[in-house]
Amino acid sequence: MEPWKDLFLALPLPEIWLRILLFVTFGLHLLFVLLMLGTAMLGFVFFLRDCCAADRTDMGWNQRMVKSHLGLKSLAVVLGVGPLLIIQVIYSLGFFTATGLYAFTWLAVIPLLILAFLAIELFEHKMLSRPWLPFLSGAIGLGALLTVPAIFTGALSLMERPGEWTAFAAKALSPTSVYLPHWILRYLHVLGAAVVFGAAFHLFFTAGQAPDKRARLHAWLFGGILFQVAVGAPLLFTVADVFNWPVLTSVTLGTIAAMAMAWTLRPATAQTPAPARTGRALLVLLPLVFVSMLAARQSLQDATLMTLHKEARAELTRESADLDRFRESALKTFRLKLATVYDNGTTIYEKSCQPCHGVGGLGDGPAAKRLLIRPEDLAAVRADRDYVRSMILTGVPGSGMPYFTVFDKDKIDSLLDRMDKSFSLFGPTTVPRREVGEPARDIWKNTCATCHGLTGRPSEFGLTLQPAPPDLGRFSLEPERSLQIITDGYPGTVMQPYRALPESVRLDLVSIAANLRR
Amino acid sequence: MTFPLIHVPVLGDGMTIALNAVLHVLISHGVAIGMTILIVLFQNLAATGHGRFWGETARALLKPVVVITTSVGAVTGVGIWFITGILAPEGIGSLIHLFFWPWFIEWWAFTTEVVFLLIYYFLWDRLAERRPRLLMAVGWGYVAVALSSAVLISGILGFMLTPDGWPQGGTFTQAYFNPTFVPQFMLRIFAGIALGALLILGWTGWRFRGSADERGRVFRATGLVMLAAMAGTALFAWIYFSRIPGTYLTHWKFSVATSVWSQTPNLLPVLNGAAVACLALAAVAGLLKRRGAAMILFLPALILSVGLVAEFERVREFVRGPYLLPGYMYANQSRMVRHEASKAEDRPLLATLDWVNETTDKAPAARAGRALFDANCGVCHTIGGINDITVRLRGRTLESVNAMTAITESMVPFMTPFNGSEEERLTMSTYLYSMANKDTLPRPQLQGEVK
Repeated sequence: MEPWKDLFLALPLPEIWLRILLFVTFGLHLLFVLLMLGTAMLGFVFFLRDCCAADRTDMGWNQRMVKSHLGLKSLAVVLGVGPLLIIQVIYSLGFFTATGLYAFTWLAVIPLLILAFLAIELFEHKMLSRPWLPFLSGAIGLGALLTVPAIFTGALSLMERPGEWTAFAAKALSPTSVYLPHWILRYLHVLGAAVVFGAAFHLFFTAGQAPDKRARLHAWLFGGILFQVAVGAPLLFTVADVFNWPVLTSVTLGTIAAMAMAWTLRPATAQTPAPARTGRALLVLLPLVFVSMLAARQSLQDATLMTLHKEARAELTRESADLDRFRESALKTFRLKLATVYDNGTTIYEKSCQPCHGVGGLGDGPAAKRLLIRPEDLAAVRADRDYVRSMILTGVPGSGMPYFTVFDKDKIDSLLDRMDKSFSLFGPTTVPRREVGEPARDIWKNTCATCHGLTGRPSEFGLTLQPAPPDLGRFSLEPERSLQIITDGYPGTVMQPYRALPESVRLDLVSIAANLRR
Repeated sequence: MTFPLIHVPVLGDGMTIALNAVLHVLISHGVAIGMTILIVLFQNLAATGHGRFWGETARALLKPVVVITTSVGAVTGVGIWFITGILAPEGIGSLIHLFFWPWFIEWWAFTTEVVFLLIYYFLWDRLAERRPRLLMAVGWGYVAVALSSAVLISGILGFMLTPDGWPQGGTFTQAYFNPTFVPQFMLRIFAGIALGALLILGWTGWRFRGSADERGRVFRATGLVMLAAMAGTALFAWIYFSRIPGTYLTHWKFSVATSVWSQTPNLLPVLNGAAVACLALAAVAGLLKRRGAAMILFLPALILSVGLVAEFERVREFVRGPYLLPGYMYANQSRMVRHEASKAEDRPLLATLDWVNETTDKAPAARAGRALFDANCGVCHTIGGINDITVRLRGRTLESVNAMTAITESMVPFMTPFNGSEEERLTMSTYLYSMANKDTLPRPQLQGEVK
């Protein structure tokens, strides 16, 4: 079987089917979102009204009404996953770009929803107790809940306007004059729809035959429809540039249905409602309005985003063909990595130390060429195990030696064992057999000790250096390497060359340094 | 990178995902699966004539379970999509394109699960007395759908640790039903039941309203379930971890303990042992109907179990480094094949970054350096927050920073290689060097390759 190449090119269905699927799943999600929002909004408004009134007998009904929020919100959230999946497949470019530009606002949806849901549960639970707690929780819950559609409509509006992306990115959350009115009107349109669908839902499910409750819901439903028409008209102007026949047809159909619904609910009949006839009209007209508006919305979205998406896929296909010749080497790199287990000193040395210190530990690895301060010749080091461990763990500030706390203690121990085996790292210091002359002692005392300290422990001044000199009481070098450093200095550090000193003095200094190891 | 690169300041990307994911796992496993299974069991005991108090206990527990599951569990579940969509659009986008159908089917399972839970909750008062067996059927229906949902999601979660050759192996089933699939699913189910039982154990100690005898019976049943579930968890955890390649698993201590604590290698095994012992003691206290002991042990056991969940998820996420999708994409969302092309032909990266944050830095070189850092390192490192790169590089010379960025994937096994041209790498190194040494004296400057 042909291996997958570019996973973004793996489409689960032809695009047309995905668009149909999106229409259905988004419709389901949106329906419950509107019912949930409408329930929360109307529940809080009715609660306030009944709180202010002397008679609080309707509060029980308010509570029943808000109780349904639990089921509605649960379905709204869970049904949102489907369209989210499909949007990420067919509008990949637009969706990830728009939400990316919205980034932290988009992420705020998570805490806002949790806060809203828990607060509304508390609002419902405490509605019949003292009014301040349900008022507070209701206000917080509704406030948080109403912020979420503002974020969603904002991100979706941006997604549908690729021309605005660059300007939006440059100004962060400061929308342009074209985008802002669309966003506000679209948001208001969602709120209006929530009132309409929420009121209709409770007319059927919680109001029963009580005339006062039905009249109250009728009034909100009628007002909601008029509000939708008032907001919908200017909203259409903000999308005039991508208007097409499917959109025009859907909007016309939806508007006619909405007007018919308003006529059915007009105040003259609402005073003497005929429940059965009104109910039947709503059951026919409301779905018609919903489907028409949804169709208009998706037609607008597809008009822009499908074109964009096709271009992106074509580009991706071109790139995928271009990258074909590198797939084998990518596979090889992965297999090599998979076979490399960093659980032993040999592998850790080879991978983490060898690039600088080299195969033989001479400080001549390929990466060493890039370093101003040459990595130490490990083969010449004779030091205390704990001291070397601390150098590995903390690195050497001022040099290229990084720290390796990325390896746990067992791995570091394994590495130390490996280095000791290869380089006799923890072996005894080789002390040259020679009598040290007075001149060398004076030089050590007056010059070398300034940094290295009299006993080999770095002086206070020495510790201010980057890199600081090693503690010669715990770290020594083989005489040849020691002489080399004294003679030529350690390039890149403040250790200067002392080649002007007579060789016998330099050899004496080597002997002094070797004798310092405790 | 086609999409905007977003990294969470201070907290870092990993911690942001972890906070949301751990909360979600605690609720989805412990509450939605674990607690609910026990609630259904209790209702069954009531329906089959073992005492009304079982039904009353189940009813008292059901409301908080429904509220928490639908308010926090569901939102944090969707939250994972939101967060990954922002922080790793290339990664999650790739997965969704490939695993669309399992996810789509899982969505329906998830929806059915919620519908069952809502029916179970809203019809309880109507059915518990008159038609208890129908309520039982609804309860078991919920459990069946919840488990099928867990099966579906385990395959998607688990494939990322497929040991060899994903996706080059080529088949969907190889990726989905990989060797970690069964143990991970079983581990999650048993751990969820153990956690759910612990929560009910605490509730029984603190909130149970019935007689002492009834409380004792609830304690005994819960303690027994918890012990059995813990044994199952331990068994499948062992099988699960034995199936993860050593390449990845060897870093588990560092992934949890981080730099300092990983130098005490026995710390984690001891802490894990203590946590398991505390949980086992709480279960035994329940089994022996010791109310006082159960109440005292509940809180530490709960905190430690949260720690165990966080640890498992952390290890699971971390040990696949340096890959987001092994064999296909690095953790920084750079596709391996793109990186190979870049390496072979010294291809620049900046030209392919469609979105560079213009507001972060004004100087062009700094802006380029920051963009390259964001694209290459920002998924793990922050500037000034968790895993601060400026702390990591402080005191290092410019040429050593430049040397390190050349060998990242070798130097540290879970670091991604730099993606971009050599010139860009120097630009990024210079930026990082200047950020890391803002308050220090001037350091030696790069003078080209030192012979």
